[in-house]
Amino acid sequence: MPSLSDLTEQLAAAVVVADKADLVTLAAVFDHLGSITQAAGEMKGNPGADRIQQLAGGTATLVQRILLNEVADADASLREVSRSATELQQMVEQALAGRSIPEPAMRDLFVPARESSVAAPPKGDPLGGEAPCNPEDRSLVLDFIAEATAHIESAETQLLKLEDEPDNLEIVNGIFRSFHTIKGVAGFLNLAQIGRLAHAAESLLDRAREGKLEIADRALDLVLESVDAMKRLLGMLSEAMKANVAMSVWPPLAGLIDRMHQFLSGASTAATPAAPAATVAAPAVPEFMKLAGGDQTVKVAIDRLDALITHVGELVIAQSMVAQDVTDMRRDNPRLAGNMAHLSKIARELQELSMSMRMVPIAGVFQKMARLVRDVSRKAGKEVELVLTGKETELDRNVVDAIGDPLVHMIRNACDHGIETPEARVKSGKPRQGRIELKASHQSSNIVIEICDDGKGLDTDRILKKAVAAGVVSADQAMSEQDIFKLIFAPGLSTAESVSDISGRGVGMDVVKKNIESLRGRVEITSTKGAGSCFTIRLPLTLAVIDGLVVRVGDQRYVVPLLSIEQSIRPAAEQLSTVNGRGEMCMVRGMCLPIFRLHNLFGVGAAEQDPTRAIVVIVQDNDRRCCLLVDELLGQEQVVIKSLGDGMEKIAGIHGGAILGDGQVSLILDVAGVMDLAAAGHKVAA
Amino acid sequence: MSGTTDKSGKYLTFALGKEEYGVQILKVREIIGFMDITPVPRTPAYVKGVINLRGQVIPVIDLRAKFGMPSRERTEETCIVVAEIHQAGRKVSTGVIVDRVSEVLNIKPDQIEDAPAFDSSVRTDFILGMGKIGAHVKILLDLDKVLSTADVIAIAGLEKTAAAA
Repeated sequence: MPSLSDLTEQLAAAVVVADKADLVTLAAVFDHLGSITQAAGEMKGNPGADRIQQLAGGTATLVQRILLNEVADADASLREVSRSATELQQMVEQALAGRSIPEPAMRDLFVPARESSVAAPPKGDPLGGEAPCNPEDRSLVLDFIAEATAHIESAETQLLKLEDEPDNLEIVNGIFRSFHTIKGVAGFLNLAQIGRLAHAAESLLDRAREGKLEIADRALDLVLESVDAMKRLLGMLSEAMKANVAMSVWPPLAGLIDRMHQFLSGASTAATPAAPAATVAAPAVPEFMKLAGGDQTVKVAIDRLDALITHVGELVIAQSMVAQDVTDMRRDNPRLAGNMAHLSKIARELQELSMSMRMVPIAGVFQKMARLVRDVSRKAGKEVELVLTGKETELDRNVVDAIGDPLVHMIRNACDHGIETPEARVKSGKPRQGRIELKASHQSSNIVIEICDDGKGLDTDRILKKAVAAGVVSADQAMSEQDIFKLIFAPGLSTAESVSDISGRGVGMDVVKKNIESLRGRVEITSTKGAGSCFTIRLPLTLAVIDGLVVRVGDQRYVVPLLSIEQSIRPAAEQLSTVNGRGEMCMVRGMCLPIFRLHNLFGVGAAEQDPTRAIVVIVQDNDRRCCLLVDELLGQEQVVIKSLGDGMEKIAGIHGGAILGDGQVSLILDVAGVMDLAAAGHKVAA
Repeated sequence: MSGTTDKSGKYLTFALGKEEYGVQILKVREIIGFMDITPVPRTPAYVKGVINLRGQVIPVIDLRAKFGMPSRERTEETCIVVAEIHQAGRKVSTGVIVDRVSEVLNIKPDQIEDAPAFDSSVRTDFILGMGKIGAHVKILLDLDKVLSTADVIAIAGLEKTAAAA
């Protein structure tokens, strides 16, 4: 890293030849200022270092504004930059010689430069042809959209944190940097509207950084509005890129930007300027043109990743097929045996790695909920606190995408129907603020998401009444509390008093249940009237693979999901009994469980009929248990779930297909479905 | 009245018992020898089951059963024709069991006649036409339509009637 004096020399040299229209040199000036800021930051203990940092950082911001055409007089601003460059050289000399640096000169330099650029209307045609269409630029814009989206989402999260800690300058700085970065790259790519919006937000945050403004209430709302507006702009840009057209018409947004400027000018007279916090570091190294270099990651197109993972899956299958074929040869050939073992190990590791590549933390989805709760509770006139636990819990990418909507529905319901109004809560002795807890955790190869609220709980009488009125159940049907709870998943049922745009149309919960079941998950409900409710979603960790026990029934093989199996035994004659001469039972661990003959259910011939010469696999689903009669246990296998194709997707008792080690297709049992089938007395002739 | 769409072209011909049929070669993905099929419960009788085609699980239809013919023991000549059909707007690979695959024939427009008209109780939309090659008649099938319905199609005897026409 060149020394500070080298850097200031380079800077001076660049400034001399800089011209307001020469973007390349101006960008170089910008970079130099960035390096100087960084280098000064590393000069710990030298008092002059701070001032060097501030001057360099502030000048860099000025250069950016020149680049964005946002200064009233570019020539005058350039002259100021030139002055800064000279002063920086002098300051560095002084600092290295151990002499102190006069402070007032710097401040005069800065204040006018900043104010003038905020008030002046941006030059340049606001609707000028933007959005480049040639390939390199396209990929730059696409990268920008991804980066900016990440920055905006981070800004949103931080803003919500800021609500609880309005004077936490570190958070303010973080949000400032997000908008700052977006502004910088937007300027480089000629996306003026985005740049303007980012600039307006940045100005508000800049004021806050100086301690002159607190980001709360109105200011916070304005910044949140700009977050929303930015998301819209990025979305439109993304659509334009996809459709391969140039964005020539941007939404005006003048209203929002004007309001922000007005707020700024109003606030600057009202607030008393406090001393700028000395502990706050100078503006971070400008990330202009440097895309995020945080943790070590690479960007890969999603379909390439999926293709890779599919192929790894096939490699594993092919490998196990070969392993089976050479089983006999292995006995006589130790080298072959060794190589095969090595190959299997590599294949297994490859598979685990590829599965882990699809895992992402649930944090993203959770953060969205924070914003949702704020907006919904405000609209509904409630006060709600959202507590998030287990954000780092990882799930398969596809599951994360799919779980968003159901969670949104349920949280909306909790805010809207669950949590009572502050007055009602106080009256019943509860704290004014309601509490919703969103928790994610791993539990034995499943992912468990809990949504608990301390609201008024489910009212079974009302639910039952609505269900009867809607014709879902008859009035005299015997229903347990759980049965009534489950009624809220019936389509068309809603116990909301009024239909708001938030919820209450009765379309939500049945869709939620369908979505969750399509992910092979289940929803459980617990609730106490007056105290609150808890919805628990259980999902398998990955959609594509299942741990199963391969069993033989007659000449067919089936895969029983390992999770559902409690134990397998060969029953002794004394454990067996019959009911009414038809239903067979087996006594296990003090429980009397029904036996279901798979060969009957699936019409398989030549199967073992005598339980005492067969195996009984005890399976459970929720609280139901039963014994499945199979001929033989063939072993445990981790199998890739293959869809059986259209028309065969919804076969009762069958979850899907699996390709076993020898290449044959075997069917995966859906334990719940099998139990339903058996209970209904279905049999298929062999 | 001859159809407006051009049905001429190359057809893969195969036999079910004594009757000969043809399907457009463009729809045929591959032909594989008979392999073990995993039966799937609770499916129509003509759905024989599923097989593993290079990592993809595809369903296999017993065409004899679909046409209401008695089933037959498989022989060395029994094959599975893997065809790509359109179902619900998507392309789906499906296997079809045939007794014997014959040859690929180039059938010209003047060799194709429309399906004979029966009384309204018999469906004929699944027949593209009747191909007359020399003395033989081959029933040209629209596989999409054959496999799109859930019913068994009564096709027995159609060929004889057509030959007589």
